[in-house]
Amino acid sequence: MTPLLSLRHVSKTFGSGPRAVHAVRDVSFDVAQGECLAVVGESGSGKTTLANMILGVFGQSSGEIWFDGNGLPTRRTLEHRSAIQLVQQNPLSSLNPKRSVGASIRLGLDVFGIGARSDRWRLVEGALEEVGLPGDFRRRPPAALSGGQCQRVAIARALACQSRLVILDEPTSALDVLVQARVLRLLEDLRRVKGLSYVFITHDLSVVRNVADRVAVFRAGKLVECAETRAIFEDPQVDYTRQLIGAVPVVADDELKLRESLSGGMLA
Amino acid sequence: MSDVLEVRDLCLRFRGYSGMSEVLHGISLNVRAGERVALVGESGSGKSVTARIVLGLLQELPSAQVDGGLFFEGEDLNRLSRRQWQALRGTSISMIFQDPTSSLNPVFTIGTQFAEVLRRRDPKLSREAADERAGTLLQSVSIHDHARVLSAYPFQLSGGMNQRVVIAMALANHPSLLIADEPGTALDVTVQAQTLKLMHDLVERSGTAVLFISHNLGVVREFADRVFVIYRGRIVEQGPTPAIFEDPGHAYTRALMAAVPRITGGGLPELNDSESAFLDPMVVHEGGKA
Repeated sequence: MTPLLSLRHVSKTFGSGPRAVHAVRDVSFDVAQGECLAVVGESGSGKTTLANMILGVFGQSSGEIWFDGNGLPTRRTLEHRSAIQLVQQNPLSSLNPKRSVGASIRLGLDVFGIGARSDRWRLVEGALEEVGLPGDFRRRPPAALSGGQCQRVAIARALACQSRLVILDEPTSALDVLVQARVLRLLEDLRRVKGLSYVFITHDLSVVRNVADRVAVFRAGKLVECAETRAIFEDPQVDYTRQLIGAVPVVADDELKLRESLSGGMLA
Repeated sequence: MSDVLEVRDLCLRFRGYSGMSEVLHGISLNVRAGERVALVGESGSGKSVTARIVLGLLQELPSAQVDGGLFFEGEDLNRLSRRQWQALRGTSISMIFQDPTSSLNPVFTIGTQFAEVLRRRDPKLSREAADERAGTLLQSVSIHDHARVLSAYPFQLSGGMNQRVVIAMALANHPSLLIADEPGTALDVTVQAQTLKLMHDLVERSGTAVLFISHNLGVVREFADRVFVIYRGRIVEQGPTPAIFEDPGHAYTRALMAAVPRITGGGLPELNDSESAFLDPMVVHEGGKA
């Protein structure tokens, strides 16, 4: 089966000459249909640059990006744009505060020409219901919603565009644990029901452990390790991965044991 | 052991368009000398306002109404004049904020800001002497090229570096109480682990008491001796860290614990939505009471 998304030797350099910044260097990986690939790494490791290249915000300096068996051009068609969607970290700043949340969701439908014009408000309400919000929420401004509800709206917006691949850029790091648990569960259910694929960008490894099928560890623009989630956590091959896992604050004793077996503990 | 900080039956109300709204419904907590106490809760539960009340910052707001006892080293804080309270801040009580880069002033160098902090305790300190002292303090937070850091502006340093500078500043005047409001939340996990370890070692060495405010249970477990769990302006559970983590007694604490994803796997947590139990009376663990 051809993977939904595949990157081959993708690099991105900003600027040129001695002051050039190599944000992403020679990265290759695949994301299968229905798979959740976690991209982890510290700030400045190239995670967001990678997301921007997949979304087509800017082109790669070299290498190729394939989507569903076809090479993606730097200038994306509407079809590509609707199939690859983004959910950002802070829903309060990613939703337009002057638009009702329904209008924010509908904008995508209008641009991509999804559904008949008379039918679109119904589609918007359907999308809201899919993420566990009442349909009449569409009239509300983002300011009248809580952080978790806003993030649900952002997810609904990505889904309404009939996306197949969703890039989740730290979707839960601005949320409280109880809300985070609910949003993660929602993402998981949607993936199963709709067969979506996720590129899950995060630095929270305990979230990664529970939602991702595979993990790609980035450091300074390079892909240092990419493996099944279980393998990454139980037998990391690279010192850097071990360091990352060792730095995770944990609450349970068996977690402490796992972490200590890898790195000797956070305050060691 | 004597209490460095005691908060007794603290209430906070804000005056709004629709009348008064109560934010804190009478919380009591205490921090003993040299102890690390954590206040854990979700956003909006009243953690940060508690810290601001202890510093006397909210009392200056005309729309806020604060009632309840505040005692610092046995002294009644409510009877202090504004000037006396101002003299406490940055000397005997200091604070570390969540985002180090925005808590430093971007238009002054680290050296200038450091000198300002040191002069709060010793107003006649010369700049040379201040720089020298700042140098030693930066050494203690593992910044070794202190000459470069002192002449740099905050935006020229990394987040982790700024956080260490802020920690060094906060401990510069040997405070007896340090209030840390979500330190490290804005940082990467590895950097967060380093700064927490550093802070842990420093306060242990200097015997500073810490009131540590966080929403991250994992961080609290690593750092604190005693925990207060706060939910919607009420303390729902308190006790020594091991007791709380081994045997959480309150429904809310249990829900919080269950919601944390585990690095050992096991899938996403199951949540039951019985939030009515979150308003149950407070659970106090042995050894948690002053």
